[in-house]
Amino acid sequence: MALDQLYQQTILEHNRKPRNYGHLTGATHAARGHDAMCGDDILMELIVEDGCIRQAAFSGDACAVTKATASMLTDWLPGRQASDIADWSNQFQALLKDHTLPDAPELADLNQLRPVSQFPARVRNALLPWTTTLRALNQPEGTNP
Amino acid sequence: MEIVKSGVREQLDVLRLRDQFPVLSREVHGKPLVYLDNAATAQRPLAVIEAMDRFYREYNANVHRGVHLLSVEASEAFEQSRKAVRRLLNARSEREIVFTRGTTEAINLVANSFLRPNLKAGDEILVSHMEHHSNIVPWQLLCEQTGAVLKVMPINRQGELLLDEVESLISERTRLIGIVHVSNALGTVNPVAELCRLAKRHDVPVLVDGAQATPHEKVDVQALGCDFYALSAHKMYGPTGIGALWGREELLEAMPPWQGGGEMISRVSFDGTTWNDLPHKFEAGTPNIAGSIGFGAAVKWLEEVGVTRIAEHEAKLLDYATKRMLEVEGLTIIGQAANKGPVISFTLDGVHPNDLGTIIDHHGVAIRTGHHCAMPVMQFFGVPATARVSFACYNLRAEIDHFLDALEKARTMLT
Ligand SMILES: Cc1ncc(COP(=O)(O)O)c(C=O)c1O
Repeated sequence: MALDQLYQQTILEHNRKPRNYGHLTGATHAARGHDAMCGDDILMELIVEDGCIRQAAFSGDACAVTKATASMLTDWLPGRQASDIADWSNQFQALLKDHTLPDAPELADLNQLRPVSQFPARVRNALLPWTTTLRALNQPEGTNP
Repeated sequence: MEIVKSGVREQLDVLRLRDQFPVLSREVHGKPLVYLDNAATAQRPLAVIEAMDRFYREYNANVHRGVHLLSVEASEAFEQSRKAVRRLLNARSEREIVFTRGTTEAINLVANSFLRPNLKAGDEILVSHMEHHSNIVPWQLLCEQTGAVLKVMPINRQGELLLDEVESLISERTRLIGIVHVSNALGTVNPVAELCRLAKRHDVPVLVDGAQATPHEKVDVQALGCDFYALSAHKMYGPTGIGALWGREELLEAMPPWQGGGEMISRVSFDGTTWNDLPHKFEAGTPNIAGSIGFGAAVKWLEEVGVTRIAEHEAKLLDYATKRMLEVEGLTIIGQAANKGPVISFTLDGVHPNDLGTIIDHHGVAIRTGHHCAMPVMQFFGVPATARVSFACYNLRAEIDHFLDALEKARTMLT
């Protein structure tokens, strides 16, 4: 059943014990992502050096889909070029919109969020950590969210 | 018009009533639908669906403009609906009933036509902390444009209006008080009559947001002593996109039109235009004719079923659900006013409302999750969102049991 795919073990695990949950000392970029309608409210923090993301963390209160996405995303971001994230975000979004596309191996665990595509009302939750990351990156270094 | 037999009011025959709501027999995700999102919008009985269908099939025409039979019939049905809404609210005259798109538009009408023309910088508008955004944002817009000030009437942790503190907030600059009759986010039934008495002593007009009240109680605007009353048909088993503003005739009479166009005029020339009589002065353009007819049908349907009997049934559901929910570990009811309508907002430890809503939907249970268009009251209780169940005449105790089972399944799944 679709519901079991959405709330599969991996996603539930990330929800219960999110990775990289908390704050970074020396974060160079940060942004707050607030989805008032759903009640999701997260803070994404990043350390970027020479255009490369070194560390990522998130905090806040959110639903399982947002939390699992933020958890997986903050695991995946370190080592990526900041300038590539917009493209990756578009690719992730495409995977959530079109279930006939093959998985994108480079997105690793994030592919596990694809069952969200069967829950149109929840797609926004999986996108929130991505859009928040992009906003953090687009802000001048050191701006407080 | 309630059916009273041998002096004892008959109880609502809910199972028979349910047959009148086609949508209630459908399944969602392979489970029977349990519809507990009635505060967002109620379902429609056949009487409403068929009245609108009949209009389109048999006498669809524009109103108040033709001499032909169809137009005469449509105009007659349209005005009959206005009469029904007058009865619903016990207004003195049909001239006081203005059709609008709903509560939101009714409030905006008051903001723009009643307050705006005379509002000055430093004037004050009072609303409660538990208002729906539709009774906050129109005033904020007005304040931004005029320099007037929006002030907030406080509430307590139960979600009740602190009536004793209202008086000290009223000043000689207070131009209007806006109050929700029954809160959609908390269920609180506000002491509107008392508030109106207090306001009257200071000569301050009161607008009541009645969106959540008319489906659950007999409203009498004269007894309440308010000046404006706003409502939406879709909350009371009627169609969407139609509602009404009731206003005291002398106030409406003195107010300028707020939208210009056809229907609202009496004579137009380039030298000047004169306005139509009440209530048409406020109804520019071709109205929502089918919607109004459906609205009238919903009022008649409510009269036949009896809103008091409905309220008794819903009060039992509310009691039962409240008692059972208070037994659920980790469940907190947000809004525990002594006087409540059939609405329960709640949070459940470890389960975000969004996930709860999705999971129990798959067990057939439709509830609302989020901020319920009342973000200030969510902020007051320090919660980003809640889940909310709300009951209507057709809900059953068994549905509450089913909802609670689904809730446990969601918890098991997530924790
Ligand atoms: C208390 C309250 N006021 C106002 C409204 C707005 O009604 P409408 O959207 O029909 O204009 C609602 C409905 O959501 C409500 O519950």
